[in-house]
Amino acid sequence: MDTLVARYSRPTYDETVTEDMEEELLDPVASGLSLKFAMPPVAQPSSWLRSATDDRMNPDCPIKIAHGTTTLAFRFQGGIIVATDSRATSGDWIASQTVKKVIEINDKMLGTMAGGAADCQYWLAWLGMQCRLHELRHKRRISVAAASKILANLVYSYKNMGLSMGTMCAGVTKEEGPALYYIDSDGTRLAGNLFCVGSGQTFAYGVLDAEYKYDLSVEDALALGSRSILAATHRDAYSGGFINLYHVKEQGWEKHGFSDTNPIFWKTKLEKGEFTNVTSELV
Amino acid sequence: MCTDHGCASFIDKAYRCDQPEWAMPHQAEARLRVDEPHEDQLLERPTHLQHTKQPFPGYHQKMEVLLGITGKDFTIVASSKAAMRGATILKAQDVKQRQLNKSSLLAYSGEAGDTVQFAEYIQANTQLYSMRNEADLSPSAIAHFVRGELATSLRSRKPYNVNLLLGGLDPITLKPSLYWLDYLASLAPVPYAAHGYAQYYCLSILDKHHNPDIDLETGIKLLNMCTDELKRRMPIDFKGMTVKAVTKDGVIDIDFDDDKVVKSA
Amino acid sequence: MVGKDCVAIACDLRLGLQALTVSNNFPKIFQYGDVLLGLTGLATDVATVSDLFRYKVNMYRLREERNIAPSTFANLVSSSLYERRFGPYFVSPVVAGLDQKTGKPFICGFDSIGCIDFAKDFIVSGTATEQLFGMCESLWEPDMVRLDLDFRTLFPPGIFFYMMILLKNGQLNHDVECSTIMHIICTSDLNFTNASYQSTFATGFDEFFANNLNLLDDLQCPEDLFETISQALLNAVDRDALSGWGAHVYIIEKDKVTKRLLKGRQD
Repeated sequence: MDTLVARYSRPTYDETVTEDMEEELLDPVASGLSLKFAMPPVAQPSSWLRSATDDRMNPDCPIKIAHGTTTLAFRFQGGIIVATDSRATSGDWIASQTVKKVIEINDKMLGTMAGGAADCQYWLAWLGMQCRLHELRHKRRISVAAASKILANLVYSYKNMGLSMGTMCAGVTKEEGPALYYIDSDGTRLAGNLFCVGSGQTFAYGVLDAEYKYDLSVEDALALGSRSILAATHRDAYSGGFINLYHVKEQGWEKHGFSDTNPIFWKTKLEKGEFTNVTSELV
Repeated sequence: MCTDHGCASFIDKAYRCDQPEWAMPHQAEARLRVDEPHEDQLLERPTHLQHTKQPFPGYHQKMEVLLGITGKDFTIVASSKAAMRGATILKAQDVKQRQLNKSSLLAYSGEAGDTVQFAEYIQANTQLYSMRNEADLSPSAIAHFVRGELATSLRSRKPYNVNLLLGGLDPITLKPSLYWLDYLASLAPVPYAAHGYAQYYCLSILDKHHNPDIDLETGIKLLNMCTDELKRRMPIDFKGMTVKAVTKDGVIDIDFDDDKVVKSA
Repeated sequence: MVGKDCVAIACDLRLGLQALTVSNNFPKIFQYGDVLLGLTGLATDVATVSDLFRYKVNMYRLREERNIAPSTFANLVSSSLYERRFGPYFVSPVVAGLDQKTGKPFICGFDSIGCIDFAKDFIVSGTATEQLFGMCESLWEPDMVRLDLDFRTLFPPGIFFYMMILLKNGQLNHDVECSTIMHIICTSDLNFTNASYQSTFATGFDEFFANNLNLLDDLQCPEDLFETISQALLNAVDRDALSGWGAHVYIIEKDKVTKRLLKGRQD
């Protein structure tokens, strides 16, 4: 049906579109980029890659992929809160404290990255492109459900090839309201109210679950998101750095800062009397 | 600094297993192959009736919940009620705790058999001390005694695989205390603690809501927040908690609502 | 770390189970009389080994009726660790102290089976060793002192200028803001009588440095050592996922030991 509509509603200036190009435009996987990845010349590329990059199975592996993260997103009456830490580690080495783990797919939708940094960055940028193409083709915004499904189908087609990503797609549309999806490289795709992803997820869940309600005010929701990330950065060695905070609304997302955890931690401890396990006196 | 040798960079690969094999020299990798079977393993295994099946060895040990919280004038010690073997819950009313003397309480989890044997050994010795000296050992003294015993056992042929929480009230100063000990005999005095997967869910909650000046009622509320989260997020049913508290009146049992249904977000 | 007539030893405060931080108040430095011992590695062995040396050092003091000397203690550590050659304690100790007779700084490190590594600059151990080596190699200088140059007397605040002081063994380059006191860390053989200086403002400098010459009589060696070791440790653990969460620093001088708590990043 879409094909038919596209054929007859094509604007005049677009006459030069050939049959080939149209094919490309309609097939989301083949469009734009070649998506032909060079493969290592061995019988089992995926297991070869695993032995070279999995530092849990083989601590001496030659390539260490950056991972270790806390990301969270939750739905509430005022939209969706998305918050992440900003640390990238390879092994015990802190490779960066200023990673941007929230990816702005477009000005209405956000994605988060956990797992392989390059995998997430590449495929979420790719997803952004697919969303734009969808808009051009159908003359309306893509739903979050559809966008997340495109990503889920893509990563599923690379299942067991060594992709490592745990990501969330958040957006607010007129049809869906606030919509939140969890997608991982196993091919899981889940809609839900509240997700935490990464090595520090449990710590974030702990704080978030205890005080989460759907009818949280915007201010409280932002504070809770940021406090949950702070909890995870404190207890999880592989999370830390800065708190990246976003609020997604129907008009689009709004950034609420990229703030260093260190002053926030001491402010929380001294003003609210939390983190009493941390010594501030010498004994 | 780590309590497990998995992340200590200087430790040889031979030790990256759950049970350390202390008798083997770790510098001698050139001469001894790491994966060479031990002499004992070369002997043929005797036939026996398979009485247990463990689909995920080690996992159910971490599913056991131990929690401890100190407050103004008390220490709460709580443990899950499920006794698990492999895929089965053998008992749903298990009490994984032993009272050591009037003012200290030991909660344990870990390898079946080792746990009770070790806890009762510690219990017997603290009670012997009380009888001989007509005075109780303080929680700090017991903690260091337990650490010593566990550390000696660690380098023996058959180490105890037990994780412990020791809660108590100093009999003289009445100051509450809580000690965290793992099977490697790492000892840490802490204001609140947990063992197993519970650590990953509860410590962040306690970081936010705990305060050293809380009363017993608030302590129980905190404990409820923790168990609610565990019910919400842990993949198995741990059958509720046995909750006790050490106060100036000795060890008291605390009624705890195990049947509360927790809804997920 | 060695300073001029003083030594310093510092440790972080984390106790963790891989990624999980179990306690953030777990000091790894132990004092035995005038000698300090730092232990990194497996937490259980840190406790066992520190207790063992407390026993041995106490027995030594009872027998000899004096405190153990740092070099004697180093040999005791070495032989005690080698006793466990075929089932070692998983620790890498660091010893720091001042020689009882000469007052000379003494530091050394060990591997887990007791090989001594003597050093005249610094010793590092633990999970952040690479980072610590980098920090120490770049911050440490022999016989460090701190000069406090009070530029407020020279110019009114708000004036910035670039200063270069030529020394016997190199030069110091600094951007200076006149409202501040400037701390310069340099070696103690810095000699202002031989130093020349240049800046965009030429007047007033002769007098200024002449007035500050007496600073050399009032060297702040321990303070500078404290600054250097603290910066080295804090910045090293900020690049290591498995250490940090605050730190303890001990400065050992001839007549006193100072212990300080450093507020570190808590992530």
